[in-house]
Amino acid sequence: MKLNKITIGLSMILRMLVRQKIVIILLLLIPAFFLTMVQITTSDRILPFQLASVGEEVFINISEKAISFIFFAVASSGFLVAFLALNLVQKNNDVNRRLILCGYHPIELLISILLALFSVIVVIAIYTGLLTSVFYSIDHLGSFIIGLVLIGFVYGSYGLVIGSLVKAELEGILLIVLLVNIDAGWLQNPLFYAEAQNQLIIKFLPAYFPSQSAIITAVTDFSATVATVNSLVYGFGFLVISMLIFFYKMRMK
Amino acid sequence: MILKAEHIAKSFGRKNVLKDISFQLEAGSITGVVGENGSGKSVLMEIIVGLHSAHRGSVKIIGSIGYCPQRAVVFPHLTVQEHFDYFSVAYGVNSGLSKVRYEELLLYFNYKKYQYEKIINLSGGTQQKLNLSIALLHEPNLLILDEPYNGFDWDTYQRFWNYTTELKNRGCAILIVTHLLNEKVRLDQIYQLENGILV
Repeated sequence: MKLNKITIGLSMILRMLVRQKIVIILLLLIPAFFLTMVQITTSDRILPFQLASVGEEVFINISEKAISFIFFAVASSGFLVAFLALNLVQKNNDVNRRLILCGYHPIELLISILLALFSVIVVIAIYTGLLTSVFYSIDHLGSFIIGLVLIGFVYGSYGLVIGSLVKAELEGILLIVLLVNIDAGWLQNPLFYAEAQNQLIIKFLPAYFPSQSAIITAVTDFSATVATVNSLVYGFGFLVISMLIFFYKMRMK
Repeated sequence: MILKAEHIAKSFGRKNVLKDISFQLEAGSITGVVGENGSGKSVLMEIIVGLHSAHRGSVKIIGSIGYCPQRAVVFPHLTVQEHFDYFSVAYGVNSGLSKVRYEELLLYFNYKKYQYEKIINLSGGTQQKLNLSIALLHEPNLLILDEPYNGFDWDTYQRFWNYTTELKNRGCAILIVTHLLNEKVRLDQIYQLENGILV
């Protein structure tokens, strides 16, 4: 494994990303659009919300608008990172194989991709976190951004799985939109979650722990350690699966 | 001997694309493979370079391979120069030597003016010049070329053949998939791929 191959790979992947107008437009517009919609459409009435990852009996009173800001910040970060991760792997499958044929080791290429993805996750989390704080005063902004990094990690790894597994672009996007919409965009919404008939299923979905981590740190002084650790475990699970598929697809016969 | 392929067989589902392919290439030779569309020429090339596995048989290669796929397999959002940088690192060619090589290729195939252009902005022919140049960048012992001149203008087409002849004279073994009958005079041997076997 050679360091210069990884650094050149990382540099080229980042250049490719920033040169795609759709990437920059999505990155800038999606969180801003989601948060503006919350500002326009939600009310300021105070509602009790269950913080399930802290304890079954733990409820907080917070405005519908505030919790919606947090929830949509998480959902938009998850969607963006999953889409970009898919884009990183799926579109360049053939030319990545050519690089491996020419002498790159799959590990060198994968590390470059993961470093690029991590950079993207951090940029999206910081941007979305700061943007959310413009709309609503976050209690612990740094920890909230870490919560956004976690949703990025979990959904970024999911995007890598789909990108490595599915060859057609449309199917890949559909699988991303489907899960992000159902999980991060609907079931993890505290408005829905508190009244859900089967909360156990929701707890096993990828966005559960990152959402809990972001909500806890944004509006309470409770510890988010358990949610953070579980998010990392979930993200690493997806990451290992994506790595195995990537190596299988990239192997030379 | 640079390449020795023995009893290669490959099927997709029930269709036996390659049944029993055996041949070998010597240093300083140009070998053509012809055949109808869908006869399995590209699959054979991909098996030789390692992109596909054969169900049966073996391929032995001595030295380094340069592979030019049929369509340009490049990054749309990188420039020509960035491709040379990226692939030079992949080949392990040092930057000084690589610069000499790609400058030579840019000038020879007459696309130096596009050196800093993104691939997405280039014509199909220019993309194909880069596709071919990537295969030539590290001066390989064995060149596997799958219809490498798609989209080339007449002048570039002539230059391509002059270049391959020059490489042959330097000892390179070249295997080329071709359709054009007027290329036969440039080839040392020709195989026709028919019903999964070379004749």
